[in-house]
Amino acid sequence: MGQLKLNKVQKFYGTYEVLKSIELEVKNGEFVVFVGPSGCGKSTLLRMIAGLDETTAGDIVIDGKRVNDLPPVKRGIAMVFQSYALYPHMTVFENIAFPLRVEKMAEEKLKAKVEHAARILHLDQRLQQKPGMLSGGQRQRVAIGRAIVREPKIFLFDEPLSNLDAALRADMRIELAKLHRQLRATMIYVTHDQVEAMTMADRIVVLNAGEIAQTGAPLELYHKPANIFVAGFIGHPKMNFLPVTCTGLREDGVEIDYRGQTAVLPVTPRSGMVGRSLTLGVRPEHIQTGSADLTLVINPSVIERLGAHTVAYASLGGEGENYCAMLPGTAVIRAEEQVTTGIRAADGHLFDENGVAFERRVEMTDIDLALFDPAA
Amino acid sequence: MSQPAMINRYRWYELAGIYAGIFVFLSFILAPFVEGFLVSLKPLSLLFSSPYRFWPENGSFEAYRTMWVSVPGFARYIFNSFLVSFIVTAVVLALVVPAAYAFARFRFRGNGALLGAFLAVNMFSGAVLLIPLFRLMRSMGVLNTYFAMIVPGVAFLIPSAIWLLRTYMLRIPRELDEAAFVDGASHFYTLRRVILPIAMPGITVVAITTFIGSYAQQFIFALTFNSKTEYMPLPVGLFAYFGRQEVVWNELMAASFVGIAPAVIVIFFLQRYLVSGLTAGAVKQ
Repeated sequence: MGQLKLNKVQKFYGTYEVLKSIELEVKNGEFVVFVGPSGCGKSTLLRMIAGLDETTAGDIVIDGKRVNDLPPVKRGIAMVFQSYALYPHMTVFENIAFPLRVEKMAEEKLKAKVEHAARILHLDQRLQQKPGMLSGGQRQRVAIGRAIVREPKIFLFDEPLSNLDAALRADMRIELAKLHRQLRATMIYVTHDQVEAMTMADRIVVLNAGEIAQTGAPLELYHKPANIFVAGFIGHPKMNFLPVTCTGLREDGVEIDYRGQTAVLPVTPRSGMVGRSLTLGVRPEHIQTGSADLTLVINPSVIERLGAHTVAYASLGGEGENYCAMLPGTAVIRAEEQVTTGIRAADGHLFDENGVAFERRVEMTDIDLALFDPAA
Repeated sequence: MSQPAMINRYRWYELAGIYAGIFVFLSFILAPFVEGFLVSLKPLSLLFSSPYRFWPENGSFEAYRTMWVSVPGFARYIFNSFLVSFIVTAVVLALVVPAAYAFARFRFRGNGALLGAFLAVNMFSGAVLLIPLFRLMRSMGVLNTYFAMIVPGVAFLIPSAIWLLRTYMLRIPRELDEAAFVDGASHFYTLRRVILPIAMPGITVVAITTFIGSYAQQFIFALTFNSKTEYMPLPVGLFAYFGRQEVVWNELMAASFVGIAPAVIVIFFLQRYLVSGLTAGAVKQ
């Protein structure tokens, strides 16, 4: 079992509040990713769960037991560090065996366990080598091996892939996902890379300035961001934000005005919004060439041709806001030449002055069947 | 390519200048050794002949034999020197390794002040404190013992050793301690299994400097706190070659070389552990 519950967890450095009353429940076997910009407190939260940093207030509960005052080893966690933290003077075998040596496990049992872990991680040929002779990916696998042999209830990963190059990172992502399925263990994974978060997580926890901005499945965060921060953080390139005014509330959504153009966004209306200035969010990949519910004529300053896509960057008039459109790779578009782009009202996200989203009328089952199928 | 990298290429006159500089400084350092060695080969009568000759005529290693005869206690002096330096080094290491680890890793009240104090103590040479130390030793009744030569030696060598080793240990990534802690290792287990092996080059440097330091400074303490011939270390023992009538220069020089030899051997042995790059692969740098 590996169940984790955070109950109003707080962390202060002196008078500075790093984490503000974090509430979170992680189910057994779940792969949860903490993601957020640097300085949001995600690593601190992980280190608190690990027992490396003190918790100022609140409870950290693992399998129904409050572990705030227990050392890491008694919490039933194992941690993989960003920098691998391998012991350079020991062979791979001894590195993986280290936690078992601390436990004073019998030699035969220890050997079997280390070899089992090495097989899972394809390190069997490397056991007698020293970390200095291994590549970055192999070193990270050794670090993971050291975590596996302990058979912890919860695995904690602190940005384990951020030191690897892009190709290796993609491979390791897949291997980690496989490993999770193989071990069926609870894993908590910290990263600032949203691709890692989106691809591996069962559930993503987005942290911003010491608070949970939103918790949800990857596609839920993508399609139904709860606020402007999550909307801007998840998705690449970043979501475009346009200033609009609410002109009316209707049965089928909220009517907005953008520089004289009106459109009705299919979101749950809230009373008292008429006349307020709101923010319309549109993902670059939802912008199309040609006119639509809202039509914007832009003069792109930079065009990036990525093969599969063409990304156009433009500035929208006086406010100096940037506008980014992700168009098909074959789009006929040139820098400094006017082009008409359109936004479908159904793709729009709407946020109030405080950045809180209006709930979009999107059925998540239409997007990802897995979300509503517990067997998956 | 046998050509050196661009940044290491010099013109011929630059090279000439570099080698000239090396030659000048090396000759200052090495000339006394050469002269000392040549003197040790000459018979005593030839030393005062004029004109003076550098090159020994009918030179021999005779002095290396007679030195043991004319000062029978000489072996004992070498042994004393060794014993004192050896014990000083062992005690310093035993105290400094945990202390440096604590200074490098733990934050405790007054650690900055303590480190500063160690640095300040370092600025006093032992000689300044000889009189108070003498009174202290006398009232404790430990004058004329090995103890009197070892303890001040240890005390004066600890501060610099702590600074040296602490700096080395600061370079060992903290994640290694944290990883060991997460895996359930105690601080002492971590120190023994993780930190000590990685810090071995640093510890070797500390051992060598402490050994040399103790070898060099022990004569001050020996001269003041000890009047027993059988406890005298090598530097004091060399005075035995200063006779009432004449100084037996050739035997004195021979004895100096024989006396240094064991220390040189020890240092050669220790420097095997001065391998760099021991932390390769520990963390991503």
